[in-house]
Amino acid sequence: MSDDPKALLQRYQPKEVKVLKTDRQMAILRFSPCGNFLAAGGCDATVRRWDVSNAEMAELPPLTGHGGWVQALAFSPPPLTLLPQAGERGGSSSPSPPEGERGRGEGRLFTADSWGRLTCWPYAEKEAQPLWSVEQAHDGWVRGLAVSPDGKLLATCGMDQKVRLWSADDGAKKQELAGHNEDIYAVAFHPDGKSLVSGDLKGVIQVWDLESGKVVRRFDAKQLYLLSRLQDVGGVRCLAFDAKGETLAAAGTKPKVGANVQGVPTILFFDWSSGQVKHTLSIGNDGDGYIFDLHLHPAGFVMAVTSGNPGVGKLFFQRPADPQPFFLYTKMANCHSLAVHPNGQRLAVSATNANSNGNGRQIGKGTEYPGNYSPIHVFDLPTAG
Amino acid sequence: MNFEYLCRPLEHRMSRRQWLGGVAGAAVGALGLGGLAQPAVAQELKKKHRQVLFIWLDGGISQLESWDPKPNTQFGGPFRAIPTSVPGIHISELLPKTARQMHHLALVRSLCTKDNSHSAGVARIQRGDPKNRGVTYPYFGSAVAKLLGPGDSGLPPYVWVKPGSGGFVYQDAGFLGPRYGAVAFGDGKPPENLLLNPALTEADDEARNALRMKLDRRYAERRRKEWTEANSYVFDMAAQLRKQARLFDPSTLPPRDVERYGTHEFGRHMLLARRLLEAGVTFVKVNSYGWDTHGDNFNGHLSMVPKVDQAFAAMIEDLKDRGMLDNVLVIMMSEFGRTPRINGHVGRDHWPEAWSLVMAGCGLKRGVVVGKTNERGTHVTTEEHDIGHMFHTWFQALGINPKEHSYDNGGQPLPIAHEDCHAVTELLA
Repeated sequence: MSDDPKALLQRYQPKEVKVLKTDRQMAILRFSPCGNFLAAGGCDATVRRWDVSNAEMAELPPLTGHGGWVQALAFSPPPLTLLPQAGERGGSSSPSPPEGERGRGEGRLFTADSWGRLTCWPYAEKEAQPLWSVEQAHDGWVRGLAVSPDGKLLATCGMDQKVRLWSADDGAKKQELAGHNEDIYAVAFHPDGKSLVSGDLKGVIQVWDLESGKVVRRFDAKQLYLLSRLQDVGGVRCLAFDAKGETLAAAGTKPKVGANVQGVPTILFFDWSSGQVKHTLSIGNDGDGYIFDLHLHPAGFVMAVTSGNPGVGKLFFQRPADPQPFFLYTKMANCHSLAVHPNGQRLAVSATNANSNGNGRQIGKGTEYPGNYSPIHVFDLPTAG
Repeated sequence: MNFEYLCRPLEHRMSRRQWLGGVAGAAVGALGLGGLAQPAVAQELKKKHRQVLFIWLDGGISQLESWDPKPNTQFGGPFRAIPTSVPGIHISELLPKTARQMHHLALVRSLCTKDNSHSAGVARIQRGDPKNRGVTYPYFGSAVAKLLGPGDSGLPPYVWVKPGSGGFVYQDAGFLGPRYGAVAFGDGKPPENLLLNPALTEADDEARNALRMKLDRRYAERRRKEWTEANSYVFDMAAQLRKQARLFDPSTLPPRDVERYGTHEFGRHMLLARRLLEAGVTFVKVNSYGWDTHGDNFNGHLSMVPKVDQAFAAMIEDLKDRGMLDNVLVIMMSEFGRTPRINGHVGRDHWPEAWSLVMAGCGLKRGVVVGKTNERGTHVTTEEHDIGHMFHTWFQALGINPKEHSYDNGGQPLPIAHEDCHAVTELLA
């Protein structure tokens, strides 16, 4: 691949093709591994779905039964027939295990909410009903959810300071990993399936050996945390491995102050073998807030979205060692999630409507008090290799 | 010069003699209680004059993440509501300890006030939003200091425990004059240089003070009395505080109380506030800053509200155990609530249209909720209550009838609470 940012831009520059409308704010967005569906977790206790197999991108009936916010959502790993072929650009950042080791979780969507419920759905069915559901998977807010590479296990984490492992097949609790002393925001399986990482509010990343259930290493991401007066600010908001499992990205903000939280969106790239930070990527200024979601592209760059002060949001592509992104898009307000299509040629961003903030009553728009919502911007990437 | 326009009703004047005379009694209250009060001491406390604990969450706590949750509605946010010790009353899951004290509390969910900016809102709320009569009204703390007086504690009647710097905040007093300003203990610490410099003997100090007083008298001859009074008041106050320096010594706190209130800033300050109330201070204000959660509101509240919950619940429990809840009016509030609408920064903005506060203590009903908001939490559906209604209610609870009492501002009678408002009788015992 060329090192020239211009060549990278030419090769990967996205073009917006559609905006999907919603009537509520959406916290997380993911494509199904088959590529035909897009799912969003809502701040209205619903899961929204769109059939993205054609240009119409029609919305399916929402999945209901959750409480609070659905902020954690993951699909089971892709069937082998849908995996990108060798040498093909794009695809999932988690490699598939060999045939025969695949779990029975194919065709399933796992969602978790801020009231502690974890649910499994046959997402492709129009009127999907839960295959199973655990009402109190956590005491309160489930922050993160990941599916193991073999599709057999789910990992969840939350405000109860616990990491829990579940059978993807039936929702049976398999293991509880206790060791954090703070809210846990994110979990991710290592692509080899032997380790799990979890990141908390105070920037502690723990590496768990799945066989023993013990913490075997800790990575230091404390620069993503600040105590501001009474408020603990920041935290490891997302974790992602590269496809080979050589790099772990931990992201959030480098906080400056709490309340009206200000901080610089920051990603720490850890070398998996040494546990040391190889690169630190910060973008923008204090008003740019958090990295809310990211994807490590097989070509060695990160795709990420940010949300800061109302109206401020970024979608950018950047190689960790580069001083600037080779692609930066700032026309979307407050981007909260980024989903990359399994073929690598489409992405979707959950953003926020314009003029989302303001003190006091809204004047001149009738008596109805307006809420905000998330336009979902769909981009296509160039198909030429 | 004639300064008769000054308000100085004799019954509320605080003389140096009164100040000094109260010290002995205060020592019992301040230092003799550590742990649970003995019945005899509790009885003694009951005889004390009424007091106020005013907790100010500066910037605006979200009513939806505290006293008026709307789970699973458009603006309800991620958190659940939990039951309390009063059947039928639910509050946010972020307040589990306070939920167990609900039978001592009174919630107001019908606040509808006017300002949505901090600069106007803080002063307007704490001054009770009186009608404009061309004078600056006192903050509630100064008003109470004036109307209830210092009691017999020998301590300043209006004390403010706050993060950051301390000092004498005379501005709070408005037209009452600087003497009714707040003595602020920055970060809960006594004023700098309070203790006598070891290089000075008591005799040196007395001689120094005699010289100062002589100069003060000369200085006062041609100046406004309220200013010179305030000047000497500060020195008197310092002398008394010096005698009660143990109030500020954390090493004398029972470890169990430190744990119960929390080692965080708010917990430490609330524990000091309890000591000051025990010592007999008439009005104790505790400030917490950082509640203006325009960004990351939910994580912010998840981090901060449980700390407030911890210390607030411990305070209510202790006041109850000490028999002080009958004499102390407790109020916890902000300058406004936060918008139901969640902005793109996952924050909530300023919302004076429909918000809440919590109270407890003297003169109030217990285990009650007054007012209701609509299903989405956007507006009040029962009678709206402005801050003037709260001032009427608070004064009534303290035994002061705002319809009968007025300030005398140099012959100008001024109502102590907005005359178009009234007490919320559903809250009064």
